[in-house]
Amino acid sequence: MNRKTTSLIGAAVLALALAACGGTGSSGSAGSTPAAGAFNKDATIQIGSLYEPQNLDNTAGGGQGVTEAFNGNVYEGLFKLTDDGKVENLLAKDYKVSADGLTYTLTLRDGVKFHSGKPLTSADVKYSIEKVTAPDSQSARKSSFDMIKKIETPDDQTVVVTLSSKSISFVYNLSYIWIINDQAKSLTTSEDGTGPYTLGTWKRGSTLSLERFAGYWGTPPTNKEVVFHYFTDATALNNALLTNAVDVVTSEQSPDALAQFDGNSNYKVNNGHSTTKLLLAFNDRKAPFDKPLVRKAVTSAIDNKKLLNSIWGDYGTLIGSMVPPTDPWYEDLTKVNPYDPALAKKELTDAGYANGFSFTLDTPNYDPHPTAATFIKSELAKVGITVNINIITADQWYTKVYKNHDFAATMQEHVNDRDVVWYGDPTFYWGYDNPQVTDWVKQAEQSDTTDEQTALLKTVNEQIAADAASDWLYLYPQIVVASSSLSGYPLNGLNSQFYAYGIKKTA
Amino acid sequence: MSAQARTARRRSLPLTAGCVLVGLVVAVAVVSLFWVPFTPDDTSGDRLMPPGLPHLLGTDKLGRDLLTQLMIGARIALAAGAGSVVLGGVIGLAAGLAAGFATRWLDDVVSALLDILIAFPTLLLAMLVAATQTASLTSAIVAIGLAMSAIVARLTRVLVKRVLAQDYITASRTSGTSWPRVIAEHVLPNIWPTLTVNLALQFGLAVLAEASLSYLGLGAPPPNASWGRMLAEAQASVFIAPVGVIAPGVLIVLLVVGVNLVADGLRDVADPTRRRRRR
Repeated sequence: MNRKTTSLIGAAVLALALAACGGTGSSGSAGSTPAAGAFNKDATIQIGSLYEPQNLDNTAGGGQGVTEAFNGNVYEGLFKLTDDGKVENLLAKDYKVSADGLTYTLTLRDGVKFHSGKPLTSADVKYSIEKVTAPDSQSARKSSFDMIKKIETPDDQTVVVTLSSKSISFVYNLSYIWIINDQAKSLTTSEDGTGPYTLGTWKRGSTLSLERFAGYWGTPPTNKEVVFHYFTDATALNNALLTNAVDVVTSEQSPDALAQFDGNSNYKVNNGHSTTKLLLAFNDRKAPFDKPLVRKAVTSAIDNKKLLNSIWGDYGTLIGSMVPPTDPWYEDLTKVNPYDPALAKKELTDAGYANGFSFTLDTPNYDPHPTAATFIKSELAKVGITVNINIITADQWYTKVYKNHDFAATMQEHVNDRDVVWYGDPTFYWGYDNPQVTDWVKQAEQSDTTDEQTALLKTVNEQIAADAASDWLYLYPQIVVASSSLSGYPLNGLNSQFYAYGIKKTA
Repeated sequence: MSAQARTARRRSLPLTAGCVLVGLVVAVAVVSLFWVPFTPDDTSGDRLMPPGLPHLLGTDKLGRDLLTQLMIGARIALAAGAGSVVLGGVIGLAAGLAAGFATRWLDDVVSALLDILIAFPTLLLAMLVAATQTASLTSAIVAIGLAMSAIVARLTRVLVKRVLAQDYITASRTSGTSWPRVIAEHVLPNIWPTLTVNLALQFGLAVLAEASLSYLGLGAPPPNASWGRMLAEAQASVFIAPVGVIAPGVLIVLLVVGVNLVADGLRDVADPTRRRRRR
């Protein structure tokens, strides 16, 4: 599996591009039932993960690993998202929106200190937002803040942000911005945040430790230290859990290893919600995939249910479109392009490809992509379409597919929630260009109410499904396996966040 | 060949055993060209079925027949071994001969180059080759062959130098024999037995190297069934479907052990001192 792999910069940028652009944070201790009795408040929690940070700066290609380790633990935003996607105040005590929806006045919480000891001021907030929107920022969040016109800091506790157009997701989007000390240096190797932990040591290729921050403004963590252990191989990671080298695995990537933990009272297997979708993404700009009918035919020719079962056994969900059930605008669209090879053949004939065609599928070299590509090749052969599987690295994917749009079709995991809006951007790598959808996405962002926004994005979702803009193969499961001595760990880990401050360990 | 040597070949147990093992794999590969139980991309089976009927060895995650995959994998393993040995052998022999005949300073340069190439990890070389094109069976063979050629070249060089120091070469040259004829009549026949043993050993190493490269995703791309990739794909499910890991693993071992036994047997045949000791 194992998204082991590859060339770092590209992977980092890619992970950032995709990981940073959506998502809810699970609100801390969604974890399992609290262990009866007392917990050791000075415990060290050993966390096993496959995602080591590329560096420690999420605007410089830190990747999903730094999100997992640092989000909410070391750095905090003005807002945070709860498990059910609601926005809560974090470093912002309060905020007001002007009647025209264009001016946000944010008041900061008192008594917040950075790890370096400096008190949090509005200047830090301005600096942090501008760090994300800066020209050299690699944060894909960047475009969500295009409408910021100016940021003012009338006093130390107040930030006034003026927008050029309304943005109903503005507060939600702010929850992705880490508030960083504006004097901090070398952020790729050190940190200066306000979170409940400070960075201990980072041994590249091995571990990253976080230590409880004595000067934390909020509730102190229920453990003293957290150590992330990084693995490149899922089997090795599971073995580490079996031998108690780690207490919890943030995200299992194969259902078959779970047999070792299921039914063993020393471990708990938790099945949470994920927002990670596996896409067969067509290049909608180029023939033959510029024709919706061809894309629909391909979608109907692939038995997604069998594919999901092959890769995930009894776990995972079919979605039929880009929106996972945890997004407010979800609806079940699995019937829009049902698995039906006869229908697929008919659609191919109608589209002028009665004799099929052949195309190259650019497939990232880490699981599950090669396995899924093999399955797709086999399925499409049945309707006369020849697939040439071209295995590429994450780095090549970023350059060839994401940047240069030089592909016919590709596969990719999209980890974010609320990322259906990408279909409103015709310049995005898949090149889906439906002016109506673009307009709906824009209108949704400028909605006055969430109901209005939800209704519009539902329409978007229905339209991209009807056009088979991509083939949404399935939604991943999110499986966290932990020692039964642990409680209070996040279950959903959406966007690969992993709040550690509520984890309790007995003994 | 003397009668004595012929007796030795007949009596070489390792050679016989090795030939049987390699022959089995070759037979499977040949059969797979004409017949396999299921088509390679037939995903009609269930996920990870245990051995039974109609899937004698069960199925993989995608419901493909494991036996079919293994049979096709035999082709890839043999192709990798043979391809690398041919490539490595030809380049290595040529370079080794050149170095053997070269003037002192050129010999030193070539030797230094060979030492560097030998110290270069095969896997890293394979990654470099795969980076210039895309990872495929050919790129794996090229990488393994290049790595192998250095070893073959160094051996050839030493052997050639030893032969060239013999008095009969001087005699032959003095009597007016041209260098190409000296190579054909004296050098090659004398170095050939040792070289053959080495190439046989290299064949086994090449099979292992291809399996490693495929395991890392640098070999034949899917859906080609390489044993190494089958191992990698089945790794996560080893506890619930062990056949998927055991079967390709056992086949790799059988082929490599077979090839090594053949090499061992060839050495017995080629080396009279060893032969006497065995008796």
